[in-house]
Amino acid sequence: MKEKKMKRSDFLKLAATATVTGAFLKSGKTSAKEEIGAQAIEADLSKLPREIVYKNELLRMQEDLLRALKKPLKERKWSMVLDLRRCIGCSACTIACKAENVLPPGVVYRPVVDEEIGTYPKVTRRFIPRPCMQCENPPCTPVCPVKATHKREDGIVVVDYERCIGCRYCITACPYNARSADFGEVYTEGTPIVQDYELRPNFEYKKEWPRKHGVSPIGNARKCHFCIHRIEEGLLPACVTTCIGGATYFGDNNDTDSLVSDLIARPNITTLKSELGTKPKVYYIWG
Amino acid sequence: MEKTRAFLEKPLSRKKFLQLSGATGALLGAGLMESRDVLADNKKEVSYDLNKAKNIINSVCLQCNTGCSIKVKLLDGICVKIDGNPYSPWTMWPHIPYKTSINESAAIDGHICPKGQSGIQTLYDPYRIRKVLKRAGKRGENKWVSMPFEEAVKEIVNGGKLFSNVAGEENRVIEGLKDIWVLRDPKVFKEMSADIKEIWHAKEKDEKQKKIQEFREKYKEHLDKLIDPEHPDFGPKNNQLLWIHGRLKGGRSEFFKRFIQDSFGSTNFHGHTTVCQGSLYFTGKAMSDQFDFDEKDKKAKWGAGKKFYWQGDLSGAEFVIFVGASPFEANYGPPYRSNKLTEGMVSGRLKYAVVDPRLSKTAAKAWKWLPIKPGAEGALALAMISWVIENKRYDATYLANANKAAAKSDKEPTWSNGCWLVKMSAAGGSASGGKDSKPGEFLRASDLGIEKTKKTKTLKDGTEVEYEFDNFVCYSNGQAVTFYPNDSETSAEGDLFVDTEVNGIKVKSALTLIREEAQRYSLEGWAKLCGLDVEDIIAVSQEFTSHGKRACADIHRGVSQHTNGFYNVLAWYTLNLLIGNYDWQGGMSQASTYDNAGEKEGKPYDMGKMHPKKISPFGISLIRHGVKYEETTIFAGYPAKRPWFPMASDVYQEILPSVQDAYPYAIKALILYMGTPAYSLPAGQTQLNVLADINKLPLFIASDITIGESSMYADYIIPDLSYLERWEFQGSHPSVIWKVQPVRQPAVSPIPEEVEAFGERMPISLEAFFLKAAELIELPGFGKGGFKGGLDLRRPEDYYLKMAANVAFGDEKDGSKAVADADEAEIGAFIDSRRNLSKSVFDLEKWKQAVSPELWRKVVYVLNRGGRFDDFEKAFDGKQLKNKYGKQANMYLEKLVKIKNSITGKGFPSLPVYLPIADAQGNSLNDEKEGFDLNLITYREIAQCKSRTISNYWLLGLLPENFILLNSQDAARLGLKNGDKVKVTSKTNPEGIWDLKEAGTTPMEGRVKVIEGIRPGVTAFSLGHGHWAYGSRDVLVDGQRIAGDKRRGKGIHANAAMRIDPYLKNTCLEDLVGASVAFYDTYVKLVKV
Repeated sequence: MKEKKMKRSDFLKLAATATVTGAFLKSGKTSAKEEIGAQAIEADLSKLPREIVYKNELLRMQEDLLRALKKPLKERKWSMVLDLRRCIGCSACTIACKAENVLPPGVVYRPVVDEEIGTYPKVTRRFIPRPCMQCENPPCTPVCPVKATHKREDGIVVVDYERCIGCRYCITACPYNARSADFGEVYTEGTPIVQDYELRPNFEYKKEWPRKHGVSPIGNARKCHFCIHRIEEGLLPACVTTCIGGATYFGDNNDTDSLVSDLIARPNITTLKSELGTKPKVYYIWG
Repeated sequence: MEKTRAFLEKPLSRKKFLQLSGATGALLGAGLMESRDVLADNKKEVSYDLNKAKNIINSVCLQCNTGCSIKVKLLDGICVKIDGNPYSPWTMWPHIPYKTSINESAAIDGHICPKGQSGIQTLYDPYRIRKVLKRAGKRGENKWVSMPFEEAVKEIVNGGKLFSNVAGEENRVIEGLKDIWVLRDPKVFKEMSADIKEIWHAKEKDEKQKKIQEFREKYKEHLDKLIDPEHPDFGPKNNQLLWIHGRLKGGRSEFFKRFIQDSFGSTNFHGHTTVCQGSLYFTGKAMSDQFDFDEKDKKAKWGAGKKFYWQGDLSGAEFVIFVGASPFEANYGPPYRSNKLTEGMVSGRLKYAVVDPRLSKTAAKAWKWLPIKPGAEGALALAMISWVIENKRYDATYLANANKAAAKSDKEPTWSNGCWLVKMSAAGGSASGGKDSKPGEFLRASDLGIEKTKKTKTLKDGTEVEYEFDNFVCYSNGQAVTFYPNDSETSAEGDLFVDTEVNGIKVKSALTLIREEAQRYSLEGWAKLCGLDVEDIIAVSQEFTSHGKRACADIHRGVSQHTNGFYNVLAWYTLNLLIGNYDWQGGMSQASTYDNAGEKEGKPYDMGKMHPKKISPFGISLIRHGVKYEETTIFAGYPAKRPWFPMASDVYQEILPSVQDAYPYAIKALILYMGTPAYSLPAGQTQLNVLADINKLPLFIASDITIGESSMYADYIIPDLSYLERWEFQGSHPSVIWKVQPVRQPAVSPIPEEVEAFGERMPISLEAFFLKAAELIELPGFGKGGFKGGLDLRRPEDYYLKMAANVAFGDEKDGSKAVADADEAEIGAFIDSRRNLSKSVFDLEKWKQAVSPELWRKVVYVLNRGGRFDDFEKAFDGKQLKNKYGKQANMYLEKLVKIKNSITGKGFPSLPVYLPIADAQGNSLNDEKEGFDLNLITYREIAQCKSRTISNYWLLGLLPENFILLNSQDAARLGLKNGDKVKVTSKTNPEGIWDLKEAGTTPMEGRVKVIEGIRPGVTAFSLGHGHWAYGSRDVLVDGQRIAGDKRRGKGIHANAAMRIDPYLKNTCLEDLVGASVAFYDTYVKLVKV
């Protein structure tokens, strides 16, 4: 077969031209690109007709996002709004997330619950996407014995795959059942050929994580991270762009001009299990 | 939700994977692809590569037939992510301007449904076949040998004792394709075809016989080439090559027709429309017929109707009533339609109602859910028509327009024949509800003693033809007004409700007849038939007529897939006509596409005309469509052995049973493409019986990407390319209001092997098969000089890139609507993004040679964007839609007056009526009284398509198995609870089994899910599960057992319980006019196991 491998140096070249933001992954650790500064990302929506951008909620949110990236990390407050009136229970988000993050069997970051309410003929169904709530006060981080999971300055709760020891305390601690353990399974195991798309490295936390036994994240805890690797490239999280009902909103709640800030300020906004004091940054519009 | 399984004890190393891959890699599954170096140091930050144009190929999904535009994201040539294409209205709202550069669009992702996301797993299905498989046991025994491509094509072409190694077939001689291609001269075809029409048009029996004798005399040298010289209208033996397709799209459609029809000369090229929504299409065809000059017959007649249908424009609607349609789960389709509904609901622009026995996801969010009794959809339409007419809530101005000029003066793009006068005949019957007369043909000027008008028509070749036109008549202020329907100068407007005598002839307006039909029952009577509340019917009617033209009834399978489907559709479309919403924003819309076949004037490549020796096939088709039984030479009174379909085509369920009955004639070879009649049709076991029968079907070739439920019975399976590896021109759907042409193109290197035809390397595929077969038989139209004018057709791209050029050129003959040229950067990105495609697929020089140099950059521009899409603002024309139907839409179908039911010998109604569910002889079925107490319906979950997504493991995570839905009231009555396993039995399948012939029998069992959201008395299962092939069972290939994957066989497929017609005995229930199969008209009993 022909040599088609992309060399490491190629990646670096691409990275340089991409001039990504000064965002970095772990507190206390700086990355090589931190110095590059808050520049424009690949996406440049300024050339698109304003009318289209205004009408198109995805483009509007992408603009919001690009604007937020110009600010220092700690001034961003990434938030998500799930308008349940618009959620049609299709689970496109669930699968988009599977593909984007190369999630194996048993690991789901973004399930959608489908429940029936009422008695015939007065009956309805409700569909509830349930990603990680990215709590202000996350119950999952304090229980970590090795400080592998923590809240970033922009509010995203992350798992340091290189520190996680797979004890699963965090999985138990999460009141939203938002974390899963990666047991290293493969969908096509037991079929004539295990397929390479399942083994390809993912881009989580802006690094490459090959599917290799004994190597994190296999054996460790995994969770939704708002697709940090996408948002810091100027892209909305995979669940947001793929939402065919237009139910998923994302943006910087510290930016009063952002679409999410608009929605979060409305009287019909709510959060899940607010009584726990977790202060989720994932909000719901129930009706 | 997925369950976690035990942690693997021993880590599966990369080396181990390679070993696993090698074990069966030669035969099955994807070849191992190069991947990134997984052993690389993972500590460094890396760039995200999926938003770069060099890693993106825009194409078109085919996980279902919605055909959403996709952005295929590649890493080192592996497809790793699929997103929506932002250039396309399917997958972004509003979509970005077409001129946006591909570097910019690379960083903008559109939306796509879970099936679309999962397409990666269709492509990289480990059970894909890579080499030709030839049967090594009995049909369906699942024993195969792999064989070289060229050898296989030679066997198929030459025939012989091909299965002498199989017990019982030692001496069976099979005729090859070369033996079936007997009549070869296009001129003889043309002459014979004309003479056959003469025979058909002979009214008297003696005259017919005389014409047959003349025919036999004239063609005595060719009689041995006919199927039956006694019945020359069966056509030549070439017709004994039968083609059946499931999902066939533009491009491939023309390519394959080129082989079967244009070169080989078989008339039997049949599709699957009637299993999907045939009666929707064929009512659309009848409604769009225009009475005007016909170029072929050189006279005025009903014709030019398009096989099409309308859908509602959800982006402009204020009220929608969905009937048997669920846009959140299916309905062409969720990515395009869902956000228009959800946005409309939340903003307050729109409100909608859903008519469906099941609380679909769409119904769950509806203003009103009307859980109707299955089969009564037409009754509900008539109830609403009755209320709308009684309360004068119709658009009187619109309905008064009798012709084009009248419509034009009101700025209406369309008009109906509602005010036209119909002659009442004295003959018995009372289809109109009248006592002693029934509606017949339209009143004509000649009936009033007015002479026919003389008209001239300039033909395409420039010659002028004179013809006579007998004007139609409407009634205005006590006066008869005669008119020509397409008159754009003199306007004719008529009174809506007329019941009078003109010149001694009793006449009624079509609207009067429809009102009578709608008043056949009181609202209470209709409501009872529907099982609905009168108040709800009134509320919905009120709302429907409260938004001007920004309201519509959007209908689909739940309306059309009944024995009364045709008339149900006609009734609902007539309801839409009452408010005149056609071509208006928020009303009914039709599809609009850029012509890829090059048929429009001035196009660069007219693919049809570029055939050097094109045959026009003739003869009665195997499914007896487009011809009247009474005119043929096998007319033998009533009932006919099997039904005839003058109003329909692509009558899927009739194809194989007709082979079995050899009616009208026997078949020698079948090529089945991307279809699975055994799995997808109601009572699919009747289809499977024929596929397994080597005597009725001597040679069976299937094209498939895996061993499927129907292809497992084939003699040969030719591996095909998946939708991510091949070319197609997807076309559009009526719901899409923009003019478009999405182009599907190879995005990854082929998984199956590479082969050779005409000296060219290419991936094995159905194109390769036809090219090779043409090379061996020396069939014209392929290879060197395959195109008229000396161009070669050696490779798929020689064909498809010309079509892409047609799309790029646009539909104006002067080329003024051509796309821009791709600039250097775009050309560079085009080549770069294809850097990992194998040379057998992407050879830049060969691609460039396929089109003229001045079109090449335009082709690149189109391919870079995954097709052609009009800009957002181009779909609107004030309050109307820009892309208009723009013609007459019939509510009264005069054509039907002259057509007889070939089974009963009686006539068909010619206007919207409610017909009870019935068998082919018109008898009602009373299985309910025999203890089959639940009306079985099917539905679609978004997580499965109808037959081909069980290989998608991500989707199986969402829905590992399907269920038998049951209302809690029925569950209590039957003593069933959630999770109980039950068998589905029916009158024609009392054992509740699938009889798979050599593959044994399998019980039709599934698990009950007790819910509130389904009408009591109705039970439902979702389509797509319950597989018996497609990688779910073990197969033996080259003596090696390939273990099936049990995950792929879960759930239930209860089609075999669906009612077999008591007269036909080998076919499901069907609609004899619109030809749809009945999916929702069977009563079943659930037996706990």
